Amino acid sequence: MSSVTVGTAMQEVIDHSEVVENEFVKKWKEGGGKVVGYTCVFTPPEIIDAAGLFPYRIRALGNPNTEIADSHLARFNCSFCRSCLQLGLDGTYDFLDGLVESNGCDHIRGMYENWQYVKPVSFFHYVKAPHVITDDSMDYYREELRLFMKALEEHFKVEITDEALKSSMEKQEEIKERLRTIYEMREGKNPAFTGAEALSLFLLASAVPDEEFIRMADAAIEERKGSSVSGYRARLMLAGAATDELELVRAVEAVGGLVVTDALCYGLRAFYSPLDLEGDPVEAMADVYMKDMLCPRMYEEYAKRRDFILGKIEDASVDGVVVMHNKFCDVHGVDNVQIRLDLEKRNIPVLALEKEYGSRADVGRIRTRVQAFLERIGG
Amino acid sequence: MPFAGIDVGSLTAQAVLIEDGRTPLLKTIGVRLLYKSISVKPNPLDSARTVMGELLDEHGLSWGDITYCVSTGYGRDKVQNEGLAQENISEISCHGTGAFSTAPRVRTIIDIGGQDAKVIRVSEAGDLDNFVMNDKCAAGTGRFLEVMSRTLGISFQDLGPLAIKARSRIELSSRCSIFAETEVLHFLQKGYDKAELAAGICKSMADRVMALVRRVGTEPEVMMTGGVAKNIAVRSELERMLGQHMLSSNIDPQIMGAYGAAVLAQRSGGGS
Repeated sequence: MSSVTVGTAMQEVIDHSEVVENEFVKKWKEGGGKVVGYTCVFTPPEIIDAAGLFPYRIRALGNPNTEIADSHLARFNCSFCRSCLQLGLDGTYDFLDGLVESNGCDHIRGMYENWQYVKPVSFFHYVKAPHVITDDSMDYYREELRLFMKALEEHFKVEITDEALKSSMEKQEEIKERLRTIYEMREGKNPAFTGAEALSLFLLASAVPDEEFIRMADAAIEERKGSSVSGYRARLMLAGAATDELELVRAVEAVGGLVVTDALCYGLRAFYSPLDLEGDPVEAMADVYMKDMLCPRMYEEYAKRRDFILGKIEDASVDGVVVMHNKFCDVHGVDNVQIRLDLEKRNIPVLALEKEYGSRADVGRIRTRVQAFLERIGG
Repeated sequence: MPFAGIDVGSLTAQAVLIEDGRTPLLKTIGVRLLYKSISVKPNPLDSARTVMGELLDEHGLSWGDITYCVSTGYGRDKVQNEGLAQENISEISCHGTGAFSTAPRVRTIIDIGGQDAKVIRVSEAGDLDNFVMNDKCAAGTGRFLEVMSRTLGISFQDLGPLAIKARSRIELSSRCSIFAETEVLHFLQKGYDKAELAAGICKSMADRVMALVRRVGTEPEVMMTGGVAKNIAVRSELERMLGQHMLSSNIDPQIMGAYGAAVLAQRSGGGS
């Protein structure tokens, strides 16, 4: 089911995307470089990059263990956040020189603050993003970005110039262009990448130096030109909570549901909107990372999220949508109900999945539901 | 030549053979998986081989006689990968098809198995319209009744008959299987009547299932399938809450998944 020949270029991407501390991170550290970790899409990696630091997007890669994290976060905290905290505390993320906290949700705040409380890193900064978009809130967020820059400058004894920011933004745009090309290639009539492969490419983009990602992505794109995935029963869209679970997408695709697009923050939501490279860098970043983030934490922006999903369903000829959230995820738990109702109203088949993050025991249940969903939509 | 369905679930495995769709010549054998033993790993393939092997033997048939076989249940893909079935289909579709084949008037199927509870809606043509499944929780599944029977010191089969003998019932406040067990133990130690506790357990089970039913809604007629459909107390409590009688199938509700698989095998395998 859902198969395509994996060549050496794609295999290289997959291999590097499946480890937290990949060899490029190691090399960067060996050369004396510093790495700063972040999670939420409203933390501009350009700023970290412009400070001469390596921006690394924190991930848990489906890690099912949370025993150390459970001493600090409760069982009713989102299991993705607990999994990330576990990796922070068990030494997996010892290569990080800094953490950028964000108020994406209260669970992720708990993750950061417990991490810093139990095992402090030398640089810890909290970027606060407003929950509404108004002139005042945009001013506030731009000010937050400037404070973030100042904190980096002071701690790492560097200067973030406008030139450096612009250059980082250009590099980030080059990365995003690759990701957009990859998504176009999977959304087309003959998808050239599986959803799991697209996720591997996405994860790699925020875990290796820019030039390494561009090299590997270009090779994978070249390798897949003219190829198409075969053997799938239906074209699915994955929407909902943050997930970097390659195994989950593989499980969905193993029963024949090819994930041709998504509306995920470890996915399309993070790169669909292009940066304006001409104007003021802080203005440009604020416009993309605040106004276009499509996260359900932005309570008033529901219509924009819904329309984004509806547009993507059209673009990618989606047969059915899987909306998922981790147990106890408040923001997506609420948003997914509204999304499901809105899709059902338009007779778009939708499967709502509540799951535990990274639990292998959950894969069987998910497979059964997805398979039944495919049988239902006639895939 | 028969068409076959194999349903390997979490607690039992069923095999069904059908000939020409109308005459079930069947037999069910519950093969208990090894959940009570911690030293052995349950193997769905062994269950599939045993249950179908014995069924074939009893009728003087062999594996080679099967025209087409569909596997379902938790071990469905393993059973197919091993070559014991040509196709695997989710238990949701199989229960829907099975129930519809025995009673075309059915539109809502409540299937409660060992570790899953599902509410399935089928169309007038018998196609799968919608479904919901329980969240990751044992409350509202067969496992809950089994744990509670053990706590009461009675067999799983005796729970329903004991519950309907009760003149009143003890309300259980807990929604969690683990805590409910503690609660039942507490009542037992205080000397409360087992029958009244059994009634409380079955009511609590029905409450959980109704929570699921409300999510997808019911359209008449309703049928209950899966092992828990045999529990008379849960069944009558659900009927009371639904405000309607549920259809009775003319075959054992526990084999409905395997029967549906066999019906689908017949469709895929070119039967009538």
